[in-house]
Amino acid sequence: MKRLLCCLTTVLLLVTGCATVSVTPIPVVSPQAPEPAKAGPASVASAPPAADCGDPTASLRPLSPMPAPGGPMPPGSTMDRIKRRGKLIVGVDQTTLNMGYRDPFTGQLSGFDIDIARDVAQAIFGSPDAIQLLAISSLQRVPMLQQGKVDIVVRTMTITCDRARQVSFSSVYYDAEQRILARRDAGISTAADLAGRPVCATAGSTSLNVIQALPAKPRAIAVSDWTDCLVMLQQNEVDAVSTDDVILSGMAAQDRYTEVVGASLGAQPYGIAMPLGDDTMVRFVNGVLERVRADGRWAASYAKWLDNLLPGPAPAPPVAKYRD
Amino acid sequence: MTAILSSRPVREASALARTTPGMLTALALALVAAGLLAGMFTGLAVQRRAAAIDDLATTSGPLTAAAQEIYRSLSDADATATGAFLTGGAEPAATRQRYFADIAQAGNALAIAIAARDPADVTAPGSSLATLSQELPVYTGLVETARADNRQGLPLGAAYQREASNLMRAQLLPAAQKLYQGETAALSADQDDASGVPWVEILLAVVVLAVLVLAQLFLRRRTNRVFNAGLLAATAAAFVSLVWVVVAASTASAYVSDSRDEGSAQADVLAQAGVATLTARADETLTLVARGGDSSYQDDYLNQSKRLGDLLDRARGMATADDVRALIDKAKAENARWAQQHTAIRAADDSGDYVQAVAIATDPNQSAGVFDRLDRDLRGATDDARASFGDEVSGASSALSGTLAGVTVLAVIVAAASAAGIWRRLRDYR
Repeated sequence: MKRLLCCLTTVLLLVTGCATVSVTPIPVVSPQAPEPAKAGPASVASAPPAADCGDPTASLRPLSPMPAPGGPMPPGSTMDRIKRRGKLIVGVDQTTLNMGYRDPFTGQLSGFDIDIARDVAQAIFGSPDAIQLLAISSLQRVPMLQQGKVDIVVRTMTITCDRARQVSFSSVYYDAEQRILARRDAGISTAADLAGRPVCATAGSTSLNVIQALPAKPRAIAVSDWTDCLVMLQQNEVDAVSTDDVILSGMAAQDRYTEVVGASLGAQPYGIAMPLGDDTMVRFVNGVLERVRADGRWAASYAKWLDNLLPGPAPAPPVAKYRD
Repeated sequence: MTAILSSRPVREASALARTTPGMLTALALALVAAGLLAGMFTGLAVQRRAAAIDDLATTSGPLTAAAQEIYRSLSDADATATGAFLTGGAEPAATRQRYFADIAQAGNALAIAIAARDPADVTAPGSSLATLSQELPVYTGLVETARADNRQGLPLGAAYQREASNLMRAQLLPAAQKLYQGETAALSADQDDASGVPWVEILLAVVVLAVLVLAQLFLRRRTNRVFNAGLLAATAAAFVSLVWVVVAASTASAYVSDSRDEGSAQADVLAQAGVATLTARADETLTLVARGGDSSYQDDYLNQSKRLGDLLDRARGMATADDVRALIDKAKAENARWAQQHTAIRAADDSGDYVQAVAIATDPNQSAGVFDRLDRDLRGATDDARASFGDEVSGASSALSGTLAGVTVLAVIVAAASAAGIWRRLRDYR
């Protein structure tokens, strides 16, 4: 009993008398850099099937005769249905400077692509304002057409064999080349300099496929809109953006610390996309495009939006190719 | 040990204890000890209850309000900053003012919330206080970059605003939500602590009374005197102490229950309704800013709108004060009007008349005005509920005031009176 009492007392004294406090440490926190929504490493692309469909830029010959602008459309055709609805629904971009963007001063969507879309609306309704512009992401271009939520997509869309199996394309209305945008002092001037470095493009774009196929093996980062790439470049989360020169020049115009570099990584012919198999609509749109090329509207749009953006003299409108 | 027990002083003490004077002395000692100990533990229990009520008034009550304010201000700041991108041109001065007021309010409430906690609460992994204090400056930086780019006519501004909104929705608002839930749980725990039945106090008082009654019965048997003045006084004091503690604790309990039913529970539902309003407004704005491509905001609007309706109905059912009821009725009317305006906005936007949709959304005579009134009504109702909470807690605190002193004094009286009473009997044996 005496020994038990002794042990208990000793333990109690030790526990209470020798308890110490320690200072709460002030940790060093590492900053969490903000990122655009839905930005992340691009999923590994299955090699785009080297589908051989001949020349995907060769479209269908225009309707002959073409209906008069605002006049009656061939009965039963898509144009007739659109005319009866009262407006043309177009999928466009609202983030790419001078191609399809929301002008902060006016709040309106404008740009080269928007001009082309309005030309199609003019041909159907006689007025360029009978139009509803829906801002969509690169990834939504094909699904929106397949679900019938838009009539046409005019959104820096490159014509490829792969896409030609899902949607129908018009003739080429603009010839772009894929290049690279980098900070001026970053030491990137060719595709070879991109080895192992993060390079940005939007999900669902041909630009992303090209980046992933480059021999230098850069790290592809996918975002949902083109300006998100510029944001990541400014926040030093990517070292370069690679896409069509027209889009890159728009970015370089917004940030004078960047420049467009490198040789062409591939031709990127733009076409207007329509639901697959709608041949009458394709022919009609091709007819509109022929008129736009011939009567100076193409040159006027180029002069308004792209002449100051791109180096060199204004090119002639791309010549259409037809397969029939 | 056995050696101590069989030694002479102990044998003599136990022989003495078996005589009547010995037993009376032992009884006196026991009564004094019982009275003082019971008084001490009752005092401690009363003190604990008073401390819990004090916590309600100075810590958990204000902190819950601060957490509500953080959540509310951040939601409104995001809705306001995004709304600046609806119309063309530079954002109106009123919008900018509202945004700055929200950020100032959120920052201030955050500072209060952090000051009431220990550093360990902030350094803990996944701490919402750490997230809020680290990411709020990043958010405001992104919004300012968006503004600067927008002012130069660059579509880059809209991209920075999207990034800021993403940061707010993905990190800041969930952290604020977590903080609010933590503070509400702490408030509820404090209310439970302060409103329990005073079992300990009752038990101690009953034990003391039982001992006193037994002592008086023993005295009557041994000394043939029916009443002992000192012990009677001690019994009376013990009884008064019991009644006082029970009445004070029950009154305080009732007040604390009321603070929950008429105050904090209502304020909780109303604050959640306020947040649902702001989230729905932000969704309505973001749908328009997305210009047709993204339908996820409209889906979220429908969820938030339904939730808002349910919360308003619940708040109306819980309301106990007339002014709160009136404000909630007004809020419900404004909500119905807002739903109509929203249908008009969606109809205009879906049919392609974007300009008209934006006009309805930003017009102070239409959607924007209705939303402002709804927000103001809910804030008024929340403030009223918080004021009720404060009043009830003050009532609880005043119900307990003086109880500690009273219990202590009465315990001393019990001890002194029982000692005096037995001393008088002991004098007979001299």
